[in-house]
Amino acid sequence: MDIITVRDLTAGYGSFPILKELNFTIPAAKITAVVGTSGCGKSTLLKTLAGLIPPLEGEVFFGPEKVDYYSEASLAALYRGIGVLYQDGALLNNLSLFENVALPVRMRHPDMPETVLREMVHDRLSQVDLIEGAAKSPAELSGGMRKRAALARALVLDPEVVLCDEPSGGLDPITSGHLDELLLSLRKTFQMTFVVVTHELRSIERVADRVLVLNGGGLYLAGGLAEILNSDDEFIRTFFLRKVDHDDA
Amino acid sequence: MEENGPSVVFLPRRLRASDIPAAFKEIQARREDGPVTVDFGGVEEFDSSALALLSYLQGCTADVRVANIPGMVGHSFKAFLGGTPPAACEVAELDLPTRVLHSFSNRFLAQMRSVSKFVALLGDEIYYTISFFRKRRGVYPGEIWNQLFFMGYKSYSITCLLVFLIGVTVALTSAAQLKLYGADIYLADLIGYGMLRELVPLMVGIILAGKVGAAVAAELATMTVLEEVDALKTMGVVPEKFLMVPRLVAVTLAVPLLVALADFVGIGGGILVARFSLGIVPSAFIREMQTTVGLGDFLIGLEKSLVFGWAVVVGSGYKGLTVGRNAGEVGRATTESVVLSISLIVLIDCIFALILYD
Repeated sequence: MDIITVRDLTAGYGSFPILKELNFTIPAAKITAVVGTSGCGKSTLLKTLAGLIPPLEGEVFFGPEKVDYYSEASLAALYRGIGVLYQDGALLNNLSLFENVALPVRMRHPDMPETVLREMVHDRLSQVDLIEGAAKSPAELSGGMRKRAALARALVLDPEVVLCDEPSGGLDPITSGHLDELLLSLRKTFQMTFVVVTHELRSIERVADRVLVLNGGGLYLAGGLAEILNSDDEFIRTFFLRKVDHDDA
Repeated sequence: MEENGPSVVFLPRRLRASDIPAAFKEIQARREDGPVTVDFGGVEEFDSSALALLSYLQGCTADVRVANIPGMVGHSFKAFLGGTPPAACEVAELDLPTRVLHSFSNRFLAQMRSVSKFVALLGDEIYYTISFFRKRRGVYPGEIWNQLFFMGYKSYSITCLLVFLIGVTVALTSAAQLKLYGADIYLADLIGYGMLRELVPLMVGIILAGKVGAAVAAELATMTVLEEVDALKTMGVVPEKFLMVPRLVAVTLAVPLLVALADFVGIGGGILVARFSLGIVPSAFIREMQTTVGLGDFLIGLEKSLVFGWAVVVGSGYKGLTVGRNAGEVGRATTESVVLSISLIVLIDCIFALILYD
């Protein structure tokens, strides 16, 4: 079953298109990696899927419902179904780590009993192994801890889809590996769907069930991980194999 | 650099910024003799300067042909330079009046867009503030008190100091003139009326613009640049409500306290000057002041200050929330928020003057 369907999508800023005529689907309970060279529009695509940038043309369906980017009700329904992990975490600096994770619950369910809310936040912080730092401010955390905290915040209301913008970018291989294991475990345990924008080939190999390759302002190739890695296409070979060589070096 | 015949330039294996001048010189020298083909086939190692050279060669003239572009160079060219080389190097020059007209019309349209966005935000804030008082939702618990602490407690000392100094300065300047006509006692009326109706509201507004407005714009702009505002949206939170309503409520609560305190201190400065410069005892000063100044004047000053406070918060919030996506824009937004806030204060003060005195 597909949880996100994109039809003839042209996305960009203002009237300037960055991606043109994209057609693809995101299968439920799978991890889909979005890859491509720098500046090819990966983050723009993620922001469009997250409801932050209205498409210039085309349609996005979340489940069976078409997303109306100019309707508060439609966007509210989309936001209820997604969690977003931003590139730098985007935690609110004036709140503690605990309060950052609690924020979506407090805002969406203001009547939630405090004891239940504490349990919810505690569970999510335990999952990302951050229970010790709950009282700290985001400024006191390392990059990896901020990303894990942001993931806890994205997960706290059990969204159907989690959109991740470079989750392992800038992290050391061990932390990046732990984060990947966490995504795999969440997908397996809670049947969550992840859309992961990344440059990290090792991370793609570890987690991706499906890969979307963006290039030249469009969708260059889409398929399973093995299919992509075994492709004879020159660009794909250059992009992936050079990266493998580089990573191995 | 290798050569093969008079019209072909073979570029070296390594084509980085340090290799470009020699390659470029060679190409230009060959162009003087006629059409030239630049062969990229041997390039294996390159940087963005090589892509810039390719862009120049492809787009510039008809007497240069580019050949054998390797796959990686081509892909990088598409990725970094958008794939389409410029059609021509020459850009049509517009004549001066047309350029001036273009520039003026673009600026005018940009200003109109800004004004319409500001008015839309103002309308949104009125709606969100009313809806907050009806449902008590969409705002982080305790944030109003945090803002009240910052706008009230952290601002009262500087407000008192500046208003006291303004009171002393106005009293000293006026006392010298009034003494000439033997109208010393009227200093009390002048200080009371001027402070309550005009100087205190203006000073409170300007201090709010410099201290609170700059802080609001800088904080919101930083949050926008760091994607925190986007994060709020995808959590289902309305940033314009979550971030602005606590500040609007806090400024509404803080301003009356600041104005009352500033009125007291400003008039105190006047009393001090009257006592030591003109020999008017404080009780006589207050008695005289009460003959012209009343509760109505205090309330007018309060109303003006409240409107100034709202203008500062909405103006600064507008600058903070409409910032671009790079860190340099934070500083620009902060500076512009102070200019906008003070401009709004002067404009609103003028409107009040027209209503009250015309």
